[in-house]
Amino acid sequence: MRINRGGRSRQISLVEDSPLRSADPRTKLFLSLAISLVVMTSIDRLLFFLGVYLLFLIWTHLLAPTAQHIWRLKWLLIFLFAFDWWLISLDHAILICIRLIILTGVFALFFSTTNTRELGLALEKLRVPYRYAFSLSLAFQSLGLLDDEWRAIREAQSSRGALPDSSSFWKFATNVGDLISLTVPAIVLTTKRAWAITEASYARGFDSPHRVSYHTLEFSRLDFLLLAGTSLFLILLFWRW
Amino acid sequence: MLRAKQISFQYPQEGHGLPPVSLDVAPGRLTLVTGPSGCGKSTLARCLMGLIPHLYNGEISGEVWLNGCCTTDVPMWQLAEKAGMVFQNPAAQMLAPTVEDEIIFGLENLGLPRDEIKSRLETALQDFNLTHMRNRNPQTLSGGEQQRLALASILARQPEALILDEPLSMLDTTAATDLIAYLERFVADGKSLVMFEHRHEYLDDLPEVDHIALGENKKEFDFQQHATSLPIQPNFNLNIESLHVQLGKSEVIQNLNLSLTSGQIVAIVGRNGVGKTTLLRSLAGLQKYSGDVKVITSDGEQRPNFGMVFQNPDLQLFNASVRDELLYRIPNPDMPYFNWLISALGLERYENTPPLLLSEGEKKRVTLGLALMRRPAHGLLLDEPSLGQDIIHKTILIRLLRTLADSGQLVMMTTHDLNLASHADRLILLGPEGRIIADGLTESVLRDSSAWQKTGITLPAWFLRQREAEAAK
Repeated sequence: MRINRGGRSRQISLVEDSPLRSADPRTKLFLSLAISLVVMTSIDRLLFFLGVYLLFLIWTHLLAPTAQHIWRLKWLLIFLFAFDWWLISLDHAILICIRLIILTGVFALFFSTTNTRELGLALEKLRVPYRYAFSLSLAFQSLGLLDDEWRAIREAQSSRGALPDSSSFWKFATNVGDLISLTVPAIVLTTKRAWAITEASYARGFDSPHRVSYHTLEFSRLDFLLLAGTSLFLILLFWRW
Repeated sequence: MLRAKQISFQYPQEGHGLPPVSLDVAPGRLTLVTGPSGCGKSTLARCLMGLIPHLYNGEISGEVWLNGCCTTDVPMWQLAEKAGMVFQNPAAQMLAPTVEDEIIFGLENLGLPRDEIKSRLETALQDFNLTHMRNRNPQTLSGGEQQRLALASILARQPEALILDEPLSMLDTTAATDLIAYLERFVADGKSLVMFEHRHEYLDDLPEVDHIALGENKKEFDFQQHATSLPIQPNFNLNIESLHVQLGKSEVIQNLNLSLTSGQIVAIVGRNGVGKTTLLRSLAGLQKYSGDVKVITSDGEQRPNFGMVFQNPDLQLFNASVRDELLYRIPNPDMPYFNWLISALGLERYENTPPLLLSEGEKKRVTLGLALMRRPAHGLLLDEPSLGQDIIHKTILIRLLRTLADSGQLVMMTTHDLNLASHADRLILLGPEGRIIADGLTESVLRDSSAWQKTGITLPAWFLRQREAEAAK
C-alpha cells in the first residue's frame, strides 16, 4: 500500500522528555555558544569532541531530531565535501563537514528543548529590550509557518502549471525569472502575517509600560552542573589538550 | 460605551477608505455592521479599536470615544485596556507557543499581580473549554478552537467593549454557534459589542441587535446578461475506491469509497479537520494517497484532471494585471472563452488592474478564473469558496458553478456555509478520518437529522427556519 508520508508540518517540535527541556534557556544558550566555539578548533580535537557530543545527544534524547536536521542538509554536505576535497584537501573537506554538522546540531539542541517564550525570557534576562526579545522570539516561531506557507504556495502554483521548470539545472537557471510566481505570494503572505501579528499584539496592550512577566527563570542544580561541566570541558579542550 | 462621530479614513492609496459613519454602542448592546466586500468594514473596526490612526498612515476625520477616551488622544495600550478586538483569521493572531501563554500575554501587559494573572488564566481556560489543551501549540488547534482561544485571551483582560471583525467566517456551523453563545453572555454582562460579519444569520436569534449597513447597495451582478452556455461535455463517472491518505503519523482519510457522476455540484460538509481539503487535494493530484481514483468515460479510463481553487487567493496571485494572471502560461489561449470567463466572473473592469489590489471576493474570483482558463477536462474542486464573501460574490459564484455543471463538468466544493451547500445537487457529510456519514441528494441529506448529529454539526435555528419558509413558499 502506497501511503504518503509527506505533507507534514516542518515546525520544530519540543522533545519533552529531554533532560535539557527543564534547563534554563540561558544555560542552553551558553552551551550552544560553547559548542559553536569548539568548531573553530583543529580536526583531531574536533573528532574527539564529536564523540563526546554524540554521547551527550544520546543522554539528552536529541539524537533523532539532530539527525533529522542534518539529513535535510545532506546535499549541501555532499557538495561541500566534494568541492573542498577537489579544490583543497580531504582533511579540509572532513573538517568543514564536521563543523557544519555540529553547528546544525546546536540549532536542533536549542530549539528542540526551548520554546519561543523561554527564548524571549532568556533574552530579556540578558538585558535585551522586551520589544526586541519579543520580536525575535516571534520570528523564530514563524520559521515553521514560513515553511508551511512556502509549500502551500508551491502546491497552489503547481496546480495552475506556474511552477518554475526545475527539471534540469540549466532550465532552472535560464528561467530563473519564473521564480516570481513563488516569491511574490511568499512576500505578500509574510507581510500580511507580520501585520496581523502586530495588530493582534497591540490590541492586547503590547506597548504597555506596566508590563510584568508571569514566568520567571531560575537556575537549578542541573543548570549549575551543565555550566560548570561545559566550562571545564572547554578549558580542557583548549588549554590542556 | 463606544461612540463614533462621523469617523472617516482615507488610506494613502487612492480609492481605499471609509466614508463618514457614526455609531453609538451602549453597555449591554450588540451592534451588527454589515456591508459588501470593500465597503470599509475592517477599516471601521480598526478605527473603533484605535489601531487607526495609531498603526496606520492616512487621513482621519471625526472622532471615536471609548469609555470617555478619544482614541486619537491616548496611547494604544490604554485603549487596549478598555476594548478588545478579535480578527477574522484566528491563526494569524496567535502570538505564543502554548495556549496558556497566549492568554497570559494580554494579562502580563495589564501589569496584574501574578496571583491575579493565574486566577484569570484558569477562569478563561475553564470558561472557553481550553483547559485540556493548555500546553498545546495554538497553531495546531482547529479554526474553531483558535477563535475560542483568541476570544478567551481578549476577554481575560476584562474589556468593557469588544470589536469582532468577521469572527465567524472561518468557523464551522457548530463552532460559530458556540462563539455566538459566548458573545451573548458578554453582552448580558452589560458590555458593548460591535460585530462586523457577512454570516449575520447566526445573530438572528439574539434579542435586540442594532444593525448598521455600510456601503451602497451595489446593483446585483446581471449574470443572465453575461452567461452563455458552454459546450456540453460527454458524461463520465469519478470512482474513488479504498482511498487512504496519511499525513505524518495520522491517517486523515481511511478507506473512502465514493462514486460521482458528471454534471452536478457536490458539496462536502464536515467539521474542521475531518479531511475535506485533503480529499480535494488528493483528487487534484497534489496529495499522495493509496487506493484508486479514476474517471470512467465511454472511451475508457482516464486520469482525473480537475482544476483546484484554494481557500487563500494570495497563494497564487503575482502578475501585473488580471488579464496577465488569467493568461499566464496558457499556451494558445482561447480568447473568446477568456472574454466569456472574465465577463462571467464580473472582472471585466479589472482586466488591467493588479490582482493584489482587488478585494478578497474579487481575488477569489480571479483564482476561480485561473483554474477555469486551464480548461480542466473533468471539472473543478473548490476549497471553502464562499469564505469571507458577501452575498453578491456568492451569487456570482453559485451561478457560475451551475453553468459549469450544466455543461457536464463535475463541481466539488468543501464548505461550512450551509446556504451555499443547499445549492448543491448532492451533499456529502464527512466525519473523522474521512468517513462518509451521509451521501445523497441535498434535500434528503439536509432532512437527515441523525446524520447531522453524527457529524457533530448542529443545524442552527436560523437555517431550519429559512428552510421551513422556503418549503412553505
